[in-house]
Amino acid sequence: MRSPFWVAAFGFAAALVSPAQTPADLYTSHIQPLFQKSCLPCHNAASSQGGLDLSSRAAMLKGSEHGPVVLPGKPEQSQLYKVVAHISKPTMPFNGKKLAEADVAKIADWIRDGAEFGPPAKDPDGVDLAEVQKHWAFRNPVRPVVPAGRFANPIDAFVDAERGKHGVKAAGPASKTTLIRRVYLDLIGLPPTPEEVAVFVSDADPKAYDKLVDRLLASPAYGERWGRHWLDIWRYSDWYGYRQSAQVRYSQRHIWRWRDWTVESLNANKPYDRMIQEMVAGDELAPGDPAVARATGYLARSWYLFNRNVWLSDVVEYTSASFMGLTLKCARCHNHKYDPIPQADYYRFRAFFEPHEVRTDRVPGQADILKDGLPRVYDADGSRPTYRFIRGNEATPDESIQLQPAVPKLFGKVDLNIKPVPLPLADSFPDTRAFVPGDLIAEAKAKIEKAQAELEKAKAKPEPDAVIRAAERRVEAAKADLPALEARIQADLAASQTPVPANVEDLAATARKLEKEANRLHADAAMILARHEFDLAAGDEKKLGKPTAKLEEAAKLLKEPAEGYTPIGPKYPTSSTGRRLALAKWIASRENPLTARVAINDMWGRHFGKPLVSTVFNFGRSGKAPSHPQLLDWLAVEFMDRGWDMKAMHRLMVTSDTYKMSSTAVDASVDPDNVYLGHMNPKRMEAEVVRDSMLAIAGKLDRTMGGADIDEKKGDSVFRRTIYFRTAPDLQMDIAQAFDVASPIECFERSVSIVPQQALALSNGPLSFTVARTVAGQLQAPDAKKFAEQAFARILGRAASPQELAASVEYLASQAELYRDPAKLTVIANGPEASVPPSKDPQQRARESLVHVLLNHNDFVTIR
Amino acid sequence: MSKTGLCSSHRTRRHFLADTSMGLTGLALGTLLRRNALGKEPHFAPKAKRVIWLFMLGGVSHVESFDPKPDLNKYAGKQLSETPMKDVLSNAFVKENLKAFVPGQHQIKMTLYPMQTGFRKRGKNGVEVSDWFPNMGDMMHEVSLIRSVWTTDNDHGAILQFHTGRHIFDGYLPTLGSWAHYGLGSLNENLPAFVVLGQPPGDCCGGVGTHGSGYLGPEHAGVRLEVDPKNPLPFASPGSGVYREEQQREFEFLNKLNGMSGVEYPSDPALKARIKSYELAYRMQMAAPEAIDYKPESEGVKKLYGIDQEVTKPFGEVCLAARRLSERGVRFVQVYHGGSGNAWDAHKDLKKNHTDLAAQTDKPVAGLLQDLKQRGLLDETLVVWATEFGRTPGAEQSNGRDHHPFGFSVWMAGGGIKAGEVHGATDEIGFHAVEHRHYVTDIHATVLHQLGLDPKRLDIPGRKRIEIDYGTPIKEIIA
Repeated sequence: MRSPFWVAAFGFAAALVSPAQTPADLYTSHIQPLFQKSCLPCHNAASSQGGLDLSSRAAMLKGSEHGPVVLPGKPEQSQLYKVVAHISKPTMPFNGKKLAEADVAKIADWIRDGAEFGPPAKDPDGVDLAEVQKHWAFRNPVRPVVPAGRFANPIDAFVDAERGKHGVKAAGPASKTTLIRRVYLDLIGLPPTPEEVAVFVSDADPKAYDKLVDRLLASPAYGERWGRHWLDIWRYSDWYGYRQSAQVRYSQRHIWRWRDWTVESLNANKPYDRMIQEMVAGDELAPGDPAVARATGYLARSWYLFNRNVWLSDVVEYTSASFMGLTLKCARCHNHKYDPIPQADYYRFRAFFEPHEVRTDRVPGQADILKDGLPRVYDADGSRPTYRFIRGNEATPDESIQLQPAVPKLFGKVDLNIKPVPLPLADSFPDTRAFVPGDLIAEAKAKIEKAQAELEKAKAKPEPDAVIRAAERRVEAAKADLPALEARIQADLAASQTPVPANVEDLAATARKLEKEANRLHADAAMILARHEFDLAAGDEKKLGKPTAKLEEAAKLLKEPAEGYTPIGPKYPTSSTGRRLALAKWIASRENPLTARVAINDMWGRHFGKPLVSTVFNFGRSGKAPSHPQLLDWLAVEFMDRGWDMKAMHRLMVTSDTYKMSSTAVDASVDPDNVYLGHMNPKRMEAEVVRDSMLAIAGKLDRTMGGADIDEKKGDSVFRRTIYFRTAPDLQMDIAQAFDVASPIECFERSVSIVPQQALALSNGPLSFTVARTVAGQLQAPDAKKFAEQAFARILGRAASPQELAASVEYLASQAELYRDPAKLTVIANGPEASVPPSKDPQQRARESLVHVLLNHNDFVTIR
Repeated sequence: MSKTGLCSSHRTRRHFLADTSMGLTGLALGTLLRRNALGKEPHFAPKAKRVIWLFMLGGVSHVESFDPKPDLNKYAGKQLSETPMKDVLSNAFVKENLKAFVPGQHQIKMTLYPMQTGFRKRGKNGVEVSDWFPNMGDMMHEVSLIRSVWTTDNDHGAILQFHTGRHIFDGYLPTLGSWAHYGLGSLNENLPAFVVLGQPPGDCCGGVGTHGSGYLGPEHAGVRLEVDPKNPLPFASPGSGVYREEQQREFEFLNKLNGMSGVEYPSDPALKARIKSYELAYRMQMAAPEAIDYKPESEGVKKLYGIDQEVTKPFGEVCLAARRLSERGVRFVQVYHGGSGNAWDAHKDLKKNHTDLAAQTDKPVAGLLQDLKQRGLLDETLVVWATEFGRTPGAEQSNGRDHHPFGFSVWMAGGGIKAGEVHGATDEIGFHAVEHRHYVTDIHATVLHQLGLDPKRLDIPGRKRIEIDYGTPIKEIIA
């Protein structure tokens, strides 16, 4: 049937004997998706590796630079078949796993049937997948061949190749003193001590640097340093809105638990793909595990009190931009102007999040969720429809089509296999967890004590009789609350068991009776006060508001609970839609061409001072092309091959010769922007590093990790790392603001400005005085020269030049002279006080002054 | 949709702005060098060199300040539906323009409430201004009064909106002052180019985003100064026991050390920028307290601003500081009145609220205009008086008025604006702006135009502005 005769006689289409499938159908259903995934990334119209382009039949039949690759009808003689079947070399996919046997067989069938292309799969939104594949970032990365050469680290080979192409010469290696400071500040955000520098400089072991890197990556400070980087991108913010009346409008209370999850996860070297899954769908990935649910603070952060569409549009915008460098937000009102993203794709993406809501679960030791708790997400309602908003206007949803969750069409056919996730009782009724009843009872007991204390106070004053009587009744009520609570706990726990015990009805009845009884006492107390206040009002209508309110309160209490009893906590659905988990698994997968590249680019930018793709949040067609496309792809594939191991990638980057170069250009005129990395980019300390380093230098840094956000106004007196201080749009430390701290609203990459406010913060700020005075007191130097040497080493992490030493010695002497007669001097004294006063000894004060100057030295904030 | 201005980030902007040879720190250095040249080139010859932007937080009642509506008295106590103006609610402006912050809140008030004060013709041109603003009224011949401004938010997010041009739901975008700063740079490198005086609104309503710079980057954000010569800005002064001479020596020695470092890194632009930033900082810490400290002003001038009176002293000091800063070359001085408590927000007791607050501000603002005029500064200084929205013609809680975004008043003076013009109008009860309607960005466009900037040319690659962001200069009030 499939003989060449038939083919010749009737043409390819006629050869199609199977009534179910024409060759063109086979192409559309199997071959095209296979090509798309495994072949087109390299063999496309834009980058035809080996001269082969498989994007159209005509191009395919032209063959590669070695000749034809497909002879229609003759799979056995077709090079394409032979390389995918691993019959001849180079085997394909290049450097990749062999295709499944069934797929190889399909290719053979298809060639045998004439290798017909047929129309591309029709897409109602008009996404042309062949067109999509022309953009580099939409093709799956394929590991490029490492350029041959003398380099042990492939990074250096790729960088050197680009340098060679552009006539850029490489700088020599940085000095060991420069290097150790660079890598400390980079990996842990703190400078090395002079002792650590000395040990490293004199260590002749060729592995000394590698060992140092391992030690730094193993330090808990690594998670704090890099946690802050990722939290910039994931836009961490403590709650904000209306602090004056404690109204949360954006983000959530206790969102710091997500910050702590970030730090811990990085320190534990949790794979990046797993981190994404936990943040987007931790509740579905690990049901019943609050430690994982913390990660969903990532989504809870976008919560917004007043408008769910604003909230969800932030979720869509930042999830697509942060993880994938995709500007999906541009398709909210219309089809994307640059990328092949129809408007409906935006809303299909939103549909993954449509069912989710934010809640706060109790945590052990605190029954009051306003004081502490775990903010997290859950799927509240899987039936909510998603509609496209016409022109992005929420007032005009297109209700004719209900959109289903799906990834943007440009990614081709993706079967997400969304499956509902059953949830344990710990998720559906979290207050049945073992620790909760104890905390509730402790809270009820504390209320009894409080009521008693108030009664004592009323008696001691003494308050009028009625007030005392009301207070007495409140004590009784609080006491009655306790057995009522215990009965409610019993009833709830019983009702949650499987099978439900026989006495559950009785327990419920008891709970109701006791609760009613307690409420009656509360109502009674309110009535007594109402009566009292009514008497006080003495007929004055304006004063009747208070007693009326009290009466209403009493009436309400008597009616409650309307039926049954009040459960001890909220109940939630017993299953989750699984939408977010499916999405997260796809985002964090090899199928996604963007995720690994975007993460590598973010890491690279922070290590090297300049990302490979300068538009860090936009890898689309309007973004910039990578400066080192092969390096980026190699790193992305390496990252995935290593199981998304972040520490491994940090290690690879910081142990490269490229990283270890000096930051001084050989010839700055050749590549003035240093695009091709002729030298290391000097960097400026980020805001957190400035403050943390000062504290570390003075030995004052409190290394306690984690916990609730600290008041941002206390940065000059509480010496924890800066990451632990409150940050929200109106709540950031002054010094951090001066040094371009991340906007909690959006920050893919920080700006690096040099403005006078930074100079003021370091020259007048209390912290630099505290540090200078402390350090000067700590340095035990017999003379001025020794002192200056030590001060340079301690503050700048380097030796002073002879010229600098001489100038410093002279400065110490003249400054001491200046302080000898304070009466002649003008006091300024208006700003905030440093926690350490200046020394009264002129010599010592001169030393303090020298250290203070060094903290303001350009070499302090600069990382060479 | 980038928001507050603390993380601008974007390379595109850097490339756009900075000399590309400057590498990592190109932007900042580029900015510094431009400041060095004392400002950037405007798009065309400017009429105004600087702006004083007075913003009344909470929403001043237009019908009891600059837009008299006798019909409110005529129909007082009547339902809207019982008056000839019953159609105002079906007007498309309500449906199309209102973007309620919390749907259902601030429902339109139906019972018309009479004006709580009288109006009379004031100024040499006889413009009707209420009895609560007699001093500003006397200056009406210097002013262009716009009685037809509208906005879309019916809650205090409108404060942010009046400064960014977009609804708070769209995020924290660059504010007018930051665009002016971005477009023109500074006139005096010893002072920040964009200064903020008074207490900004609370975090509910834009917070510091109201003088933020969004995606333009933190260097273009407003710098808050306190009217306290001892410590006008964060870190302007060290704590106790630091000597001026000591500081001077430290600064000189620091320069020396950085200079030595420069020998090692001759081509490092960041080092040069940092040395320069310390020079600026040193001068700024002298210049800012000097500018804020009004003691050297004559008694006559202080009196002009009402500094001799308890009621007018606090805002008088702020207005005088605004003039002093402006005079010293601060490009954009943004002044808030009303603090975070939303002071003008008279949901009830409007009469007491507005008489108190008008008394605090009327004389100082009028004094500012007079003072600028007599110093010959008014020609080059554009003064704007604005508020986030007006107040409802209908009563709230029997004696107050609710938020009213559909029509309200703003005035501008000096800086090439016509003197004595009255422009636009609301309907008979002050509900809708009906004649020469202007959205808030028309005010922005007018300000930018007077500064010599074409709002349509203020754009950042990679950041899309929409049509409404640009606004159109109000030709009719431009001299």
